[in-house]
Amino acid sequence: MDLQLALIFLQQGIASGLVSGSVYALLALAIVIIFKTSDVPNFAQGEVFMAAGYVALYLFVFQQMPIWVVLPATLLAAFLAMALFRRVVLDQVAKSAKDLVYLVIATLGLSYVLKGLVRRTGFGDTPRSFPALVPTDSVMIGQASVTLLDLAIFGTAVAVMAAFFWMFNYTKTGRAMRAVGMNPKAAQLVGVDLRRCHMLIWGLSGVISAIAALLISPKILMTADMGSIVMLAFAAAIVGGFSSLPGAVVGGFIIGIVENMVGLFISSRAIVLAPFLAILIVLVLRPQGLFGGKLTIKKV
Amino acid sequence: MAGETAAPFLDVVGLTIRFGGLTAVGGLDMEVAKGSIHALIGPNGAGKSTTFNCISRFYTPSEGRITYDGRDITRMPAREMAGLGIARSFQNLELFAELTVFENVLIGAHVHAGRSWRDAISARPRGIVEHVEHLLERTGLSAYAQTKARNLDFGHQKMVEIARALAIRPRLLLLDEPAAGLRNREIAALDRLLCELRERDGITILLVEHVMQLVMSISDRITVLSFGTKIAEGTAAEVRAHPAVIEAYLGRETTQETPHG
Repeated sequence: MDLQLALIFLQQGIASGLVSGSVYALLALAIVIIFKTSDVPNFAQGEVFMAAGYVALYLFVFQQMPIWVVLPATLLAAFLAMALFRRVVLDQVAKSAKDLVYLVIATLGLSYVLKGLVRRTGFGDTPRSFPALVPTDSVMIGQASVTLLDLAIFGTAVAVMAAFFWMFNYTKTGRAMRAVGMNPKAAQLVGVDLRRCHMLIWGLSGVISAIAALLISPKILMTADMGSIVMLAFAAAIVGGFSSLPGAVVGGFIIGIVENMVGLFISSRAIVLAPFLAILIVLVLRPQGLFGGKLTIKKV
Repeated sequence: MAGETAAPFLDVVGLTIRFGGLTAVGGLDMEVAKGSIHALIGPNGAGKSTTFNCISRFYTPSEGRITYDGRDITRMPAREMAGLGIARSFQNLELFAELTVFENVLIGAHVHAGRSWRDAISARPRGIVEHVEHLLERTGLSAYAQTKARNLDFGHQKMVEIARALAIRPRLLLLDEPAAGLRNREIAALDRLLCELRERDGITILLVEHVMQLVMSISDRITVLSFGTKIAEGTAAEVRAHPAVIEAYLGRETTQETPHG
């Protein structure tokens, strides 16, 4: 491979990596905010993402609703589904079982329920694509070719993440969320309503997943199994340290770029291996993840 | 029924707490007068912290009633305590380790930050920042405002807990072993602060404490527990002279710090 081609590949890999990475980053963020506050890895995140995509598809394509109705309706549905799952299912499970593993299993249950529901409707039988809302004309950035849709995906994802960071770090509600993550007992003491706070976090996590679905679904074939993309988001979260919000985002971009680089420089068949390779390398060099902070021993 | 002014600010009646077959506290009656400093003492395992956790609603009693300012709070959820003006500190610190001292105290003012949408999204609600700065000054923490709580020494961390509790603007302050692990100089500062809170702010304080030097100097009234029951109650002098107390408590333990836990 000559240098000229390698340079083009490099630029293309970064550009495409940032686009797919922004979707992984969103999903990783959705996983990490839940993990930080509930100590539960939500294994249904991928299916929430998938189901939100189908809600949008159903409303837009089958019900012919205008897009300004479809978008808020999809986000609202994702919010309510997740908030109610937290309130109705998880609070109940947590009440009867002290061990967190039951909550984790409940999220696995949710993933099967959502997948089953979508399968039953039959919309998932034929792979479909959500119509692109932004033209897919190509533009050149340096020597990399991206579509306007790609730019819109990247821009929206970054804006959503920025808004979320602002909320999490600079508002009273966000401070309450951080407090719950650090010390639920003390948070309760200062008057934070744990139940409401958890519902809000799960709801927001659903909204972020739905945004990811709306962004990426014009670019992929939608099936009931499209939620498996969440493996990459988990990879991103692990690379980032699993409890760090910036870590999740950086991890998402890293996974996206590594994937594209491997596809371009090695082989497209090696792409599936790339995220796991990235996890292995990061965990060997920095077991706590890139943004995991110092390794600490938990006092018991 | 006593008249309105005579009714105790905090009234614990027949409080019983069982864990399985173990009765941690059995039929405890205790009255805390408004504007007083009331200490709850007793040997390790006497049920002090259990009682404490019941009053602050982290445990629910098996039997009995807790009335605060004329309201039955026996079964209220813990998060509503802050709104009622009840604040507490923990024996084993429960700080927000990754937040700064300032933020820790600021979050204590959570209930006062308003319920409006505007307040929910505002980082530093009006009026609250000044209050937090004032509290940091009173607790001697101004210099550490921007330090992460986890990086402070133990004595200062305890002060952060008290400052955070004060940010709730409590009328009843529950302190679980505030002096444990403090050095003499720090205990003296705590002594001054608690007296000032009683005199200047009119805050009623109920504390569980092992450090007799502090208990005897500041308490208006002392309740002594042993094996989950009250064995004596009265002023410092009365309690000190009480034979049951001497036998159960002072006879076995020195008047200096004892390991807690």
